[in-house]
Amino acid sequence: MDQIPILSLITYAPLIGALILFLWPGATGRAVRWIALLGTGVSFVLSLAMLAAFDRSAPGMQFTEFIDWLPGLGIAYRLGVDGISAPLVVLTTLLSLISVVASWDPIQRRVREYYISLLLLETGMLGVFVSLDLFLFYIFWEVMLIPMALIIGIWGSENRVYAAVKFFLYTLAGSLLMLVGIVAVYQAYFEQTGVRTLNVLELAQGTYGQAFQMWAFAAFFLAFAIKIPMWPFHTWLPDAHVEAPTAGSVILAGILLKMGGYGFLRFNLPLFPDATRAWAPFIIVLSLIAIIYGALVALVQPDLKKLVAYSSVSHMGFVTLGIFALNAQGLYGAMIVMISHGLVTGALFLLVGILYERAHTRQISAFGGLHRSMPVAAAFWGLFAFASLGLPGLSGFVGEFLAILGGFRVYRWAGVIAMFVVILAAWYMLWVLQRIVMMRAPGEPPDPDDPELRLATAHAVPPAAGGAGPHEHAVDPRTFPDVNWKELLTLAPLAVLTVWIGVYPGYLMRILRPAIEQVLTGFGRIGF
Amino acid sequence: MPVQLVAPDWSLLVPPLVVLGTILVLLAADLVLPRERQAGLTVVALLGLALALASLLTIDWSAGATTFGGMYRADSFSLFVSLVALVAGILSILVSAGYVEAGIEPGGMALAEYLSLLLFSVLGTMLVGAAGDLLMIFLGIEMSSLAVYALTAFARRRLTSIEGALKYFLLGAFATAIFLYGIAWVYGLTGSIMLGDIAAALRGSVQGDAPVEASLLLALLLLAVGLGFKVAAVPFHMWTPDAYQGAPTPVSAYMSVVPKVAGFAAMARVLVQGLNPLSQQWLLLIAILAFITMVYGNVVAIAQRDVKRMLGYSSIGHTGYMLAGLAAFTSLQPGDRSVSSLLFYLFAYAFMNIGAFGVVAWLQERGQGVNLEDFQGLAARSPLAAIAMTIFMLSLMGMPPLIGFYAKYYVILALIEAGLLWLAVAIVIMSAVSAFFYLRVVAVMYFNEPAGAWQVARTPLLGAGLAVMALGNLALGLFSGPVLDLAQRWALAFA
Repeated sequence: MDQIPILSLITYAPLIGALILFLWPGATGRAVRWIALLGTGVSFVLSLAMLAAFDRSAPGMQFTEFIDWLPGLGIAYRLGVDGISAPLVVLTTLLSLISVVASWDPIQRRVREYYISLLLLETGMLGVFVSLDLFLFYIFWEVMLIPMALIIGIWGSENRVYAAVKFFLYTLAGSLLMLVGIVAVYQAYFEQTGVRTLNVLELAQGTYGQAFQMWAFAAFFLAFAIKIPMWPFHTWLPDAHVEAPTAGSVILAGILLKMGGYGFLRFNLPLFPDATRAWAPFIIVLSLIAIIYGALVALVQPDLKKLVAYSSVSHMGFVTLGIFALNAQGLYGAMIVMISHGLVTGALFLLVGILYERAHTRQISAFGGLHRSMPVAAAFWGLFAFASLGLPGLSGFVGEFLAILGGFRVYRWAGVIAMFVVILAAWYMLWVLQRIVMMRAPGEPPDPDDPELRLATAHAVPPAAGGAGPHEHAVDPRTFPDVNWKELLTLAPLAVLTVWIGVYPGYLMRILRPAIEQVLTGFGRIGF
Repeated sequence: MPVQLVAPDWSLLVPPLVVLGTILVLLAADLVLPRERQAGLTVVALLGLALALASLLTIDWSAGATTFGGMYRADSFSLFVSLVALVAGILSILVSAGYVEAGIEPGGMALAEYLSLLLFSVLGTMLVGAAGDLLMIFLGIEMSSLAVYALTAFARRRLTSIEGALKYFLLGAFATAIFLYGIAWVYGLTGSIMLGDIAAALRGSVQGDAPVEASLLLALLLLAVGLGFKVAAVPFHMWTPDAYQGAPTPVSAYMSVVPKVAGFAAMARVLVQGLNPLSQQWLLLIAILAFITMVYGNVVAIAQRDVKRMLGYSSIGHTGYMLAGLAAFTSLQPGDRSVSSLLFYLFAYAFMNIGAFGVVAWLQERGQGVNLEDFQGLAARSPLAAIAMTIFMLSLMGMPPLIGFYAKYYVILALIEAGLLWLAVAIVIMSAVSAFFYLRVVAVMYFNEPAGAWQVARTPLLGAGLAVMALGNLALGLFSGPVLDLAQRWALAFA
């Protein structure tokens, strides 16, 4: 190897941090946090360097690394990134870094174990995005589950154990069938060519029979559909999100869900093009159900985190809609929704976490009037809520527009339905914004000069009913301090990127272009 | 016929002889040393096994030399079985170090007897692996089993121990009789007890798709049932949970692995080598046994609160996975992965399961019980023990990058190459089911708060053993190439 193995460095920098922490039991909380920051920071800086050196005109894999591992079985240590995985790698390192900062003050119990889990998790996630060998990919894919389950189960809220076990069993059950699929593809390719390999690029060159493709596609699909998650495989998601600590939710929503979409693009589409075509209408229907269902359920949630969680189900519906539209717009849209959702939903979970730190509740009804007590936080709420609902000029719009356009070109009805559901997104997002930011806080006397507020209270339960409301112990939101500099540090980069992608998506699209064209060559549709 | 006396080639027998020598030293030491001064014998036994392990290097196994008129075979298969038996023996002794002396079992346990019985069982297993005829297999299995029956009853004042041993012994003796009866039938039908001659005779009499004589099927069935008992395949598993639960914990650790190695080595020798021409007949039988065994073991394990009993049922499940590896047999070509996946699984299983029982023993030495509740909050009390147990549980579950995953992967690979997709799917579904009860242990350790009294104890050897096994679970999977290559040479041994 004559070049620097930059992908390995990016992937294992957090692991080295975790090892240092593991071997240093006496580390103080402060030292632990700084080591974790260093591990994720190095990884982040290296990933930026990787993106800067990334050749945006070249199709195919870049920064490839190869070490023979189990040659008799065609297993090798094979890494590489293309336009699809490179942005996801950077997203992962960024959100991991932000998670380390976001956990700085909230996590005070078993700090060392927490950061070891977080760093292991990052290595697992990065490994998933850079592996080009199916065996290696599967290892990273599964390795990730354990630290994530620990983060939910140890540092989560009340019902954490149930959520952690459910998350683990659900995703494990899905991915185990993929293992059979992996071995079956390997064997089918061997029977066809006499070559033993698990290199996904090489396997994609094979042509497999229709019947084989159909079930092998399903084996991979199940794993990714549970991860992304598609309706009706989504039930682990609200539990995991609600119980996870803030950083856990950020990573779960920001990165783990993207692995499902990434899996479709990297494995299902190139390996099984015929089956993809055959399954696509069915998956489009599931996507539409997810979009509508997620939005409707988000609408009625009394819990802020659950609301954001269900909105994720809806957004991920746009991703699968875009992918299985199987045209350029759809794929661009899906990728941009994935990245935008990572930024925006990550930020929304950070904002929920910031409120939770102050109020120790996530009930929407406990908040109000934040525009007065926390003007900066309120501004961020506004920005990210609008980005989430798809306001033009922010990142959410670009992705969803393209995904809907892609769907519309193939299945007109699907595009039309999806377009109308965007209204629902505006409804639940604006409504939550109104309730926690604009409306008066619970217990606050109504402003006699404000007719609108008087109207709103006419339908609400009288606040002064003996003071025995559901949140009598809740802290008064009027006394909340505004975001501190650490919290600002976590939110600001996400805000900048959200605006940047919204205003100038060209940069991202140029990175994506060669890889997306390559995916599409398997389907005979190139470019716009 | 004049009897020719050929001097056996003793050089091929060095490893078993070293083990035997160690046993004699232990027995002699028991005569001269008083009970309270026997603690050093653990080290003697460990050194003996390590020496035997090293002596494996003195023999050229690839030559496939035989001695004692073909009864003893020094081939690649013998090598691997000896390797697994010796490694598992060493790990088991590390796990039992301290436990025997600590007086956890009422009435105590006699260390020298304990160690020599354990080594006898290792020796028996090595002989099964190296067997060239059915009688040798029988003798090896008996040597291995009888020692374990006695070890199971070693907590002689505890009723559950006696109960488990009695069940184990009665059913085991029954199975032995069936197996012996099968040998008699095979001898009657083929005129030989030598595995190679049996295969040659059968090759002449079994023609293509023509129906096989009923008497041959009976012989096959008797042998398979007898060995099915030894490896605890459903429906011959009845003794397993009681024996595992009743035996002293280090004995449970030992007997979950080494007698299983003996049973599977015998199965491979008898079915794949001797009854190879009948493979059409026994493959389906083994595949069905594999399926019901893995389903039963994993499903019933869910309901267990006693961790030892849970591990007992889980070991039935793992027997199912190993049988599945055997069921993937297609031909004696060097590329066939069936027996090698089985051998690698046994190797991996030693590291996972002895480790899991080791943590149970570790807790018992600290005054804890063997129920799920006793694991509560272990992560807070002793993070390293909790990490070790987590590694063992995840490895048993088949999570990458641990060795259990590789073992399962190789079995699945063998199955798909043999076209047994349904069995591969059954394995992954059962792995998901097994996650349920393995994960419960992990969840209790990490997510609950510690409860109950805690005794401080020093167990350096056990700690070292657990560390070796935890690291082995991590490293031997990632670098499984050499071990797998070694296992892959089985086909040369059977040809």
